[in-house]
Amino acid sequence: MGPLLRLVDVKKSFGDVQAIEHVNIDIHKNSVIGLVGGNGAGKTTLLRLMSGVYRPTEGTIHLDNDRPVSELRSVLGVVPESTGLYSKLTAWENIRYHSRLHGIDDQLAWNRTYRFAQLLDIEQSLHRYTEGFSRGMKQKTALLRALAHGPQILLLDEPTGGLDVTSARTVRQLVRKLKDEGGTVIYSTHHLAEAQQVCDRIIIVHNGLIQADGTPEELLALTDTETLEDAYVKLTFETARPRMEEIDKPSKISSLWRRLFTPTTNMEVSEDE
Amino acid sequence: MSSRKRIIIVAKKEIIEFVRDWRTIVALVLIPLLLFPLLFIAFPIVMQNEAAELDKKTVDILIQSDDIEVTLIDLLQNQTARITLEPLSDNITVLSDPNNNTEQLRALEYDAILRMELRNDTWYYAILHLSTSEQSNEARSRILEVLIDWEKDITSQRIESAGLDVESTLNPLQWDGSISNADVATKGEQAGMLLSLFIPFVLAIWTASAAVQPAIDMTVGERERGTLESLLSLPLSRTELLLGKWLAVVSITAVGVTLQIGGLLFGIAYLASDFIDVPSLSIGAVLLLAIAVGFYGTMIVALYLALAMRSKSVKEAGSVLTPITLAMIMPILLTQFINLDDVELFWFGVPFVNVLLGLRELLLNRIILEHVIIWVVVSTLICLATVRYAAKQFHREDIITTKS
Repeated sequence: MGPLLRLVDVKKSFGDVQAIEHVNIDIHKNSVIGLVGGNGAGKTTLLRLMSGVYRPTEGTIHLDNDRPVSELRSVLGVVPESTGLYSKLTAWENIRYHSRLHGIDDQLAWNRTYRFAQLLDIEQSLHRYTEGFSRGMKQKTALLRALAHGPQILLLDEPTGGLDVTSARTVRQLVRKLKDEGGTVIYSTHHLAEAQQVCDRIIIVHNGLIQADGTPEELLALTDTETLEDAYVKLTFETARPRMEEIDKPSKISSLWRRLFTPTTNMEVSEDE
Repeated sequence: MSSRKRIIIVAKKEIIEFVRDWRTIVALVLIPLLLFPLLFIAFPIVMQNEAAELDKKTVDILIQSDDIEVTLIDLLQNQTARITLEPLSDNITVLSDPNNNTEQLRALEYDAILRMELRNDTWYYAILHLSTSEQSNEARSRILEVLIDWEKDITSQRIESAGLDVESTLNPLQWDGSISNADVATKGEQAGMLLSLFIPFVLAIWTASAAVQPAIDMTVGERERGTLESLLSLPLSRTELLLGKWLAVVSITAVGVTLQIGGLLFGIAYLASDFIDVPSLSIGAVLLLAIAVGFYGTMIVALYLALAMRSKSVKEAGSVLTPITLAMIMPILLTQFINLDDVELFWFGVPFVNVLLGLRELLLNRIILEHVIIWVVVSTLICLATVRYAAKQFHREDIITTKS
């Protein structure tokens, strides 16, 4: 059986900056794939390319049997790092908004939502406004929203970031359960231990390049190391670069204007101390 | 699922989210609805109260004259005035020259000073006052009122003593009948004329100002809150997203504008019916009015959405859109000065001005096909250009990254 999602020689650049270079990944059904890398490695860019938010500068991304890319979004469930919930809507209204845009009947979406909400232990909060939600509650709601339309692939960008131990554990358990039910999850994280715990396959991204791709055992064998941490360090010896968003330059007028109001400081180190 | 359905889902969600803030309801529903009725009620009440208060006040008047008549003093005293008499100083050569009396008026010792002098058979006079004091102005107008009546009496006496008829001598040219009856414009048309200077102003300002906040909130606001990324990963094109948001902003603005116009018409019909009628318009004019407002709203909202989406932060969007809203006053003011009876065709090709001129003509119930065709064609092109520009901004890849 062919891959569910295939990235062929994908390259993404923002102006002169190469964010992702020559990425080739095959995502097969019923697997949990971990995208592991430091800040600015290119994990989020890769996930945004997969979710169709970014268009590749070069290369192609397509679904199994060469189904058109336009179908990509309907088979995906996405949880971005920021969760992206509307605070003046209830948890269920947030979920329903997305499932409606996926063309899913409200009753069907509710049934799926309620089932997963029970697993995540937030079924009592579905009709509450998300304004007062904790980070964990928001993350769980965003997960429910991504699952309500029954996606074939779930893309999670740092889903346990900022969560307490219990919430992070619940999220990981859900991911494993989805896998057990035949689902496919792509999971970005910079915690190797978590990746080892949850993922069948780990892709190490560094400076926009895929440094390694395989099961934890394959990565250890490849690097001839004892632990995944050692393997990671060996594979990513170069210094990490800043995030793409931070590279974004202000316009010439903005730069000139800012310079006018930036006093020059000629501080010298005093030897009196 | 159809594209139309997706656009409606987006618009519906935006509207629900927007109206859940009670401040929005106050700003977009209550204020526009009550603004004009309250103005129609409050203005006359405040003005009447102020006038009554001034009428009750006793004013201090100093009369400087050597030969003033007792009847005139009596008439002034009847006007609730405290009169002080003193002879006219010999230093005064021109009566209107304040000389030493300036400080007395500035210190409000007297509200006004009346100087009178009889030279041969003619009375010469001057009223000194302080124009920045309301009480002084009131004293001056009371003196003038008395003097006018007193002058009439003297004139009549002199005409009679010369053996002439007072009425025909004083008013040899007289209007016959009612002035308003001589105007062939109906009351509704007269109201349209008056409102054609007012309604386009209200519509333009309100549309421009009411659209600012939702346009910012639904674009760069959404980006700052991090809600845009998950939305862009849905099976929804960016043009559909733009149109959904555009529909929401237009609907919110339209509600505000409609309520404001409704409040204005209610005020005219029930609170100010003594002064002005509801304008009489044909169905065609009303339909074209709605189209003109639609064009104006489309252009403004699309432009605002595009500029807000271009902005790097909510703060930056505010700094861009606020001056633009104020700049919208320029075409509005320009439109007020254009003579509609002799308007050049090119004005109907100037964006924004053309729609406002169209509104003015339609409020006068004038449907001039040539003008309508030009402003409809030009506005359609401008609308397409602004929507295209907005769509271009929505298709930018960096719209999800917060760069503030």
